[in-house]
Amino acid sequence: MTREKMWTTRREAMALLSGAVAGVAFGGDVRAQGTPKRGGILRISAPTNPSSLDPATGGAGSDHAFLFTMYDTLTEWDFETLKPKPGLAESWSFSDPTTFVLNIRPGVTFHDGTPLDAEAVKFNLERNKSDPKSNIKADLATMASASVTGPMQVTLKLNALDAALPGILSDRAGMMVSPTALKASAAGNVARTPVGAGAYTFVSWADGEKIVIKRNEKYWKPNRPYPDGIEFAIIPELTTGVRSVTAGQNDLIYQLPPRQKVVVERSKDLKVFNGPTLYVFQIFLNWAKPPFDDIRVRKAFNMAIDRESFVKAALAGLAEPAYMNLPKSHWAYDKSVAALTPYDPAQARKLLAEANFKEGTTIDLVGYPDQDSVQRQEILIEQLRKAGISVRFLNAPIAEASAAFFGAEKRGSGLLAAWTGRPDPSLTYSLMFTKDAYYNGGRGAVPPELEAAIKESRASEDVQIRTKAFATVQRLVMENAFVAPLAFQFELVAMNKKVQGYRPNLLGKPKYDDVWLES
Amino acid sequence: MARRSPAKVIGGRLLQALPVILLATFMVFSLLKLVPGDIAVTLAGDNATDARIEEIRKVYGLDRPFLVQYGTWLGNAVQGDLSQSLLSGEKVATSISRAFPNTLLIVSIALLLALATGIPMGIVAAIKPNGWVDKTVSMVASLGVAIPGFWLAMILVAEISLKLNWLPATGAKSFAVSPLEAIRHALLPGIAIAAYGMAEVARQLRGSLLEVLSSQYVRTLHAKGLSMTRILWQHGLKNVSVNLFTIISLLVNRMLAATVVIEAVFAIPGLGSLIVRGAIQRDFPIVQGVVFTMVIVVIMVNLIADLLCAAVDPRIEQ
Repeated sequence: MTREKMWTTRREAMALLSGAVAGVAFGGDVRAQGTPKRGGILRISAPTNPSSLDPATGGAGSDHAFLFTMYDTLTEWDFETLKPKPGLAESWSFSDPTTFVLNIRPGVTFHDGTPLDAEAVKFNLERNKSDPKSNIKADLATMASASVTGPMQVTLKLNALDAALPGILSDRAGMMVSPTALKASAAGNVARTPVGAGAYTFVSWADGEKIVIKRNEKYWKPNRPYPDGIEFAIIPELTTGVRSVTAGQNDLIYQLPPRQKVVVERSKDLKVFNGPTLYVFQIFLNWAKPPFDDIRVRKAFNMAIDRESFVKAALAGLAEPAYMNLPKSHWAYDKSVAALTPYDPAQARKLLAEANFKEGTTIDLVGYPDQDSVQRQEILIEQLRKAGISVRFLNAPIAEASAAFFGAEKRGSGLLAAWTGRPDPSLTYSLMFTKDAYYNGGRGAVPPELEAAIKESRASEDVQIRTKAFATVQRLVMENAFVAPLAFQFELVAMNKKVQGYRPNLLGKPKYDDVWLES
Repeated sequence: MARRSPAKVIGGRLLQALPVILLATFMVFSLLKLVPGDIAVTLAGDNATDARIEEIRKVYGLDRPFLVQYGTWLGNAVQGDLSQSLLSGEKVATSISRAFPNTLLIVSIALLLALATGIPMGIVAAIKPNGWVDKTVSMVASLGVAIPGFWLAMILVAEISLKLNWLPATGAKSFAVSPLEAIRHALLPGIAIAAYGMAEVARQLRGSLLEVLSSQYVRTLHAKGLSMTRILWQHGLKNVSVNLFTIISLLVNRMLAATVVIEAVFAIPGLGSLIVRGAIQRDFPIVQGVVFTMVIVVIMVNLIADLLCAAVDPRIEQ
């Protein structure tokens, strides 16, 4: 099949193929598909029950698909490059390196009528930073205090300049919850009674079954949202979810694995969207213990992996080979780093010999037992074998495997898992490649220049300086081979012909901003 | 021999059920705690550090000793409070009361279908053993036992929902709101589970009927000149009904277990899906609540079956 067929219109294909074409007008795709209409209920098959509908107390990356509909964020991101852009905050600036000023958009109210003003923003940021149940304290670690400096202006005092803040405020930490609702709630959270300022207001949530939301008639974005409401049917079994769309019980399904591509393409009534995301399959390495405490073994391991073939064989071609933790279309991507990790089994053998790594020594890796994971493992086992590396997978369910690898047990030398996107790349790097980070499985030491470069990437708001700092970070991570990135999975979304205006985004967490329904 | 009153019997049986409930919930709780993987990690979110996970354990009381945690759960359960999901905060009683009717409907439909097809099959097979009817029934029954329910379910969806569009492919509707729609949604999953039941009923009924029909008193009845129909209906079936009740009670329990898989295939938010979600996320209040409910259901089913058996066969000491 041609690449172009994957997108419904050529226009969209263009917008996606080159992330640089950020200039494609906001409404461009929409116009190409006809005039948006209001009305109708969008029925979505969602793969997981949310962990909570309170942005501060929830924890799962899959929650965003629900949260984004009900909560607007202080900043938003560009769909193609994830560059921050204005949201509930009309503008922001660093008045000096440790002072961050947010100007709040006037005239916005929460679903319960509470005005969204500087007081409300301050209340939310302070709650996110200090509530004991808040899971996003770390996101706001650099914020020392927040103060109201005008009816529509909040000023944050920072411990250090943090250029990641605009990106961070496009995620959970920037989702504004009605202070009135929070103060009235018994448990101090709105996990089951969300009140935000987003495009849709909450109606009901039956655990594991259904979430119903309806249009916020007072939403600040003109003419949005188009549908009268959204009904999420929670269907964990993806093949069942696909059937619910083919049978017409739902309109759209997201987060499909690549193996479903052929299935959904077989159905004439469905259209399929895909695009690159930050979601990367990778092997986390424990570089605090043998054999990966030897940089040569880590490098050899990385060189033994044929990422192009991996993408074709394991991901139906629906992915971008990963040579670092950022995909090509990301604003901070550095091309020269990709060359650091060529596929070179001969060189890998040489490195192993230098490291006195005996051929046939088995390396234990931790993995997951599901069908897709096992398939990925089999391909890797075969690739690594060609370079004289024999690996064995100790499989366990996700929760167990993660706890065993990252927690106290330190099971295995590596973990084949995935890393979901973060709004600002500095988070990705500091969560994995600093000494005490949880996702540094062995809590192994990292070169001081890497820690310094990660710090530096947050220490300037200048995009060029940041890009340079990230280039250093990426280079140091891959030179030290602290991780074996494999492939950036594409977002795969299928929907019936009624659904218009859907656009994939680089974060890979669906947003339905411009979606409308043809009657 | 003086018979005890049914009320006393029921009371006695319920009393016996208490240790079973206690043991079952305790075992499941222990298993959930023994299995590696920790809900604190899920609760702590994507960016968690070790310290944060420790903190979460404290906040949610997950750092308390194992027995204290179980004791707290039990203490609340005794007072009728099944507590709430650690993740989403929904009351477990609410989740169960929403999920249980869906499961009950599927199991009821499956049981009705299994009996409505299995009983006639068993009878016709037993009337002329080793005839072609018997052989056909045996073959169908073997297929019913051999075919996995989830496979049958997917074939049914592909043919009946997706191709012919007769019945919905996924989901459930509330019986209280629209009984007809609810049954339409539950029919395919019901059929998928019923296949095994049908086979089981047909085979067991054939076996016990053959035994009865070849017994000496039946020969006497033949000698008295009774017709085959009368022998079958008045004597044969009455005598095998004890077996049948036992089969049904076992079947209901098995069907309840089968819903775990079938509900996933049809995206039915029933007890099966609920316990799977709870177990995967280590959300133990949910798992405990469902186990608690299932144990009570199983005990009730067994009790009813025993009472029915005693009603038709006075020899059974209650």
